[in-house]
Amino acid sequence: MSIDARNHEDAETFDGSGDESGGESDDDNRSPIQRWADDWIRNPEKAYAVMLVFLGGVLLTTSLFPLYWLFNVAMAPPGQTDIPLLPETIDLSAFVQVFQQVPFARFMFNSLFYAFTVTVFVLLVASLAGYAFGRLEFRGKTPLLFALLVLSFFPPATLFIPLFRAFNQQVPMLGLFTLPVEIYGTPGAVVAPLSAFTMPLAIFILTTFYGQIPDGLEEAARVEGTTRIGALFRVIMPLSAPGVATAGILTFITVYTEFFFSFLMTGNSAAEWAPVVDGVIAFQTQYTVRYDLQAAASLIAIVPVAILVVVAQDKIISGLTQGALKE
Amino acid sequence: MARVKLTDVTKRYDDVTAVDDMNLDLKDGEFICLVGPSGCGKSTTLETVAGLTKPTSGTITIGDREVTNLPPKDRGIAMVFQNIALFPHMDVYDNISFGLRLRNFPQDEMDERVEEAARVVRLQGMLDRMPSEMSGGQRQRVAIARAIVRDPDVFLMDEPLANLDAKLRVNMRTELQRLHKQLDTTIIYVTHNQAEAMTMSDRIAVLNRGELQQIAPPLVCYNQPANRFVAGFIGSPSMNFVDATVGDGTLDANGYSVSFDTAAIDGVTPGEAVEFGIRPEDLYLADNSAEAADPSRTFSVTTDVLEPMGDEIFVYLKPILDPSGGGGMTDFEERQGLLMSVDPATDISEEEDVEIVLDRARIHLFDDDTGDAISHGVVADADLEAEAERDEAQAD
Repeated sequence: MSIDARNHEDAETFDGSGDESGGESDDDNRSPIQRWADDWIRNPEKAYAVMLVFLGGVLLTTSLFPLYWLFNVAMAPPGQTDIPLLPETIDLSAFVQVFQQVPFARFMFNSLFYAFTVTVFVLLVASLAGYAFGRLEFRGKTPLLFALLVLSFFPPATLFIPLFRAFNQQVPMLGLFTLPVEIYGTPGAVVAPLSAFTMPLAIFILTTFYGQIPDGLEEAARVEGTTRIGALFRVIMPLSAPGVATAGILTFITVYTEFFFSFLMTGNSAAEWAPVVDGVIAFQTQYTVRYDLQAAASLIAIVPVAILVVVAQDKIISGLTQGALKE
Repeated sequence: MARVKLTDVTKRYDDVTAVDDMNLDLKDGEFICLVGPSGCGKSTTLETVAGLTKPTSGTITIGDREVTNLPPKDRGIAMVFQNIALFPHMDVYDNISFGLRLRNFPQDEMDERVEEAARVVRLQGMLDRMPSEMSGGQRQRVAIARAIVRDPDVFLMDEPLANLDAKLRVNMRTELQRLHKQLDTTIIYVTHNQAEAMTMSDRIAVLNRGELQQIAPPLVCYNQPANRFVAGFIGSPSMNFVDATVGDGTLDANGYSVSFDTAAIDGVTPGEAVEFGIRPEDLYLADNSAEAADPSRTFSVTTDVLEPMGDEIFVYLKPILDPSGGGGMTDFEERQGLLMSVDPATDISEEEDVEIVLDRARIHLFDDDTGDAISHGVVADADLEAEAERDEAQAD
């Protein structure tokens, strides 16, 4: 429905005289949509509000509906493939069965263990690197940072075969040495490559944040009695809390949801350090698939990440509102 | 409390020499100010003492220990920074006790020391505040408390008052002096504000371009500057400098001459170009010539701009350009106009011809090439009457 320019101008003059007598007759000539459009043109904030609600609704629906659907599947009885829009019964027993049929807790522990170990290791090493890149001047700094960027562009999958051989068959590395033990099927086979893959981004984030802390604070800490490393962990890192939290969360989520390496570098049973994906797959046998349990397991697996994000978000905000520096 | 000794300390960056062959020997408990213009190497010198910068060559000794290669934490120093540098994520108590916690002090002793330090800088009752909730002066006091709480051998202060407003700066200046009296610790204080240097220190070390120009008590730097740089840097407003030539028994400055006994001053030969300096307060109106210890003959100038300061008036003087004006400084260049300070009660106006005298006992002569001081005050020619006659002859 187009907006008639003449009508529009008329509306403005009526607005000026501000009387109902003219308005009524005009309203008769116009469709409700015309009046509606007219109203929005004069009050654009109404249009913005409506659009905001609409967009927000679309975003929420597209992101939350799959979760709702999982919940629906989990509510359906075993073997039912026709899932209604509203669950017919609310039966939470699937969420308990998940832990009874397979050692799902152990699967989750494995994945959380990977995510936690990698995050701690990456934050530690990336902090040292971020300190060097962000706060020190040295020859070759830019080429090194650039090399790091280039390395992070490699698709991890291309490295799978060589890593698999190195972890599995004890091939000589660079013709110089072999790994002392076979680490396939141990946490190391997941933690080591995933640390390497998540490291560049963490280094970039921390470099930016550490570079912004005034030199005076580090010098003050060193005069007060810390070493450079001490100043890094006692002053620079706490003051960069938002950056550390960001790097930490990204690393944690990346590793927790990582499928390729954690699935292929480990065995299939929980005791063989299989990740949570194996836990979900475990409800599928040669002849049966328990979709309801898989859906329940998937929902449970989301919980730790959701909690982490909520908690860390709080930390990020508190970090940002901390007292300003006098600089 | 400790002696601090810098021997041949040099700090070179890629293409700049920030500190050049610095030798300093500070007595135990001395308050010393490093002053100089921006980029003169005073902060770098302080950083080498702190251990934040490693000197390219030379040694630094604190007490009996050579500390050149020790990290800052092992040097027994404490430092107050220009940007205050409180840890913004810690409250006042944690800031002050930071160094003590690193040294694993027992809790009760730590409490005691923090209380004491807070009392000294008058911060009682504020220990649980965050730095962001405090005013500039309070933050600076926290920084000072953080420094004194560890009872260091040497205090290093890098322009600690530079970021404070003028009134607070004067207050903190007195507080620092009181603190020094109370603690009796060796203090090295960097500033570019020569008023701070003059009022607070036992000795001033004047630096320029990385080199030590003079180290002496404030009044010695003021009255007997070692060279032209020190003379120009110390004192506000700055000393007047005029190019001059040594004549036979006179000093000729662009048409104006002061008589003095050339023979009585070493290193001055007739015909030599020198620079002569005189402080604004050593110039007098001819009417007040009795106030000068050793007044010269009078000469005529025109007043230019007046700056009434309340307690005195700064008068900018320019030479009378017309030679027929009588005994004036004919060839004076603009930049060699003089600044005179007079009593606020003086009746003087702009663009007025006045007669002035200068105090011969307070003239400074500097070598034209090296800038080194040749003499402070010139001795009048033995035959004062002869001078008077000559003056009269010139006036005619």
